[in-house]
Amino acid sequence: MKWSEKYLRRMREKAHEEAEANENAIEVKDLYKSFKLPTERAWGLKQAIFNRLKGIKGFTRQEVLRGITFDVKRGEFLGIVGRNGSGKSTLLKVLSEIYVPDKGSVKINGTLVPFIELGVGFNPELTGRENVYLNGALLGFSNKEMDGMFDDIVKFAELEPFMDQKLKNYSSGMQVRLAFSIAIRARGDILILDEVLAVGDAAFQEKCNDYFKSLHGNQTVILVTHDMGNVERFCDRAILIENGKIACEGKPSKVTKAYQKLWD
Amino acid sequence: MGKTLFSKKNRVLLAELTKTDFKLRYQGSVLGYMWAVLKPLLMFAILYVVFAKVLRFGDSIPHYPVYLLVGTVLWNFFNECAQQGIHAIEQRGDLIRKLSFPKYIVVVSATSTAVINVLINLCVVIVFALINGVTPSLTWLLVLPLLAELYFLALGISLLLGAMNVKFRDIGSIWEVLMQAMFYAVPIIYPVSMVADNSVMAAKIMLLNPVAQVIQDMRYSLITHEAVTLTSLSGVVWEFVSIGIVAVVLVVGILYFRKKAKYFAEEV
Repeated sequence: MKWSEKYLRRMREKAHEEAEANENAIEVKDLYKSFKLPTERAWGLKQAIFNRLKGIKGFTRQEVLRGITFDVKRGEFLGIVGRNGSGKSTLLKVLSEIYVPDKGSVKINGTLVPFIELGVGFNPELTGRENVYLNGALLGFSNKEMDGMFDDIVKFAELEPFMDQKLKNYSSGMQVRLAFSIAIRARGDILILDEVLAVGDAAFQEKCNDYFKSLHGNQTVILVTHDMGNVERFCDRAILIENGKIACEGKPSKVTKAYQKLWD
Repeated sequence: MGKTLFSKKNRVLLAELTKTDFKLRYQGSVLGYMWAVLKPLLMFAILYVVFAKVLRFGDSIPHYPVYLLVGTVLWNFFNECAQQGIHAIEQRGDLIRKLSFPKYIVVVSATSTAVINVLINLCVVIVFALINGVTPSLTWLLVLPLLAELYFLALGISLLLGAMNVKFRDIGSIWEVLMQAMFYAVPIIYPVSMVADNSVMAAKIMLLNPVAQVIQDMRYSLITHEAVTLTSLSGVVWEFVSIGIVAVVLVVGILYFRKKAKYFAEEV
């Protein structure tokens, strides 16, 4: 146990050093991704055999990402915007190594903590504490590392008295607060957030806003959002994605304008 | 797979998922974990009344009740293991769609509850055996390797069929029917000698099924050396054929799973 603890720490330090040495946190080069979409009912064994016999393919191919190239500098706050279905979430999932790209490459320098959705793996039957540790394990943190972050997470969520209650007894606001606190207090080199900013009441939102402002320059963040106010408030740079390609890139004010023009 | 299998990160996740599964399994029931022991015992009680008392199947076998118990415990283990394993990817789809981690962890954690259960159950078997007057012998040491063989078979099937089941949900149902049939094709409730009396060849083929081979070997090593095994029926070489089947299933399962795992997030 001790040996592996040491080994793990060394690996992490090494990853960290590499991250330090490299100016870019993320390098994406010429990324392509398409999906097979089943036509009608290609699900199930019978249909699959039928389709093969008849020579029907049973699916159509949808190109979602077509040649995306960009870098994210260390400590940069990058916003990604675009209309529904333009490929933002697919891009995040490729960055998070959930999807394998068809073509192109993604290079991540450092550890990446993805929050494609808040509270993935949360179980209503477990206590708040158990859920925090489970969530941590799913994000790749050991129990020891979680011990170090636990108080911080709970304090930020303002849920100290409720951690030994089952999650099903939490209000939905409390649940997202907990999930959100894990998301932003988990110590990874790169943080990926998909549409998860607007949680909690006004006071909590204010606190999050302050926190995001304080992150500036210290944490690499990629934020996907439809709220142009947030893009201008937090981001150093933004990217507009349209039809799987980068349509506009640069200063947040420029990109939000281009975003609004999509509907003109 | 080999390298990541032992990485700390993956072991933590495996432990955490297993703990959660085990905790949630019996939540809200008064007897809790006791059900892990009670379920096979109750199934055993039913089989015992029907087959030992009413139909008198085991009159020729010493310690027949324990003999029956070993069969049901092992069968339950195999059944639960494969059942949970095959549906693991599909059931954990929420995680797989949104996080990146080695997918086999989900399958292994799903089967590990069954492993914990069978270890508890085997303790019960040993207590029963001692009460029944079975004398401990050196062959008891074979219990763990035999259990490992059965586990690897269930794991191989879980990986292979579980990966197929992501796309073709029929696989899960087909497997259930197969298991129903296999329950009668494996000497759990009846002694092998009943089959061998009619046709020695049939008994030989029956025992080539690794599930049957393990159950009979376990009975031999734990309870009575009179139990008919693959070795006593066909010769010890055939024992390796049966183990070979397990190895092939496991390797094919791992290779197929590895090939398909990349696309689980899109397909599940």
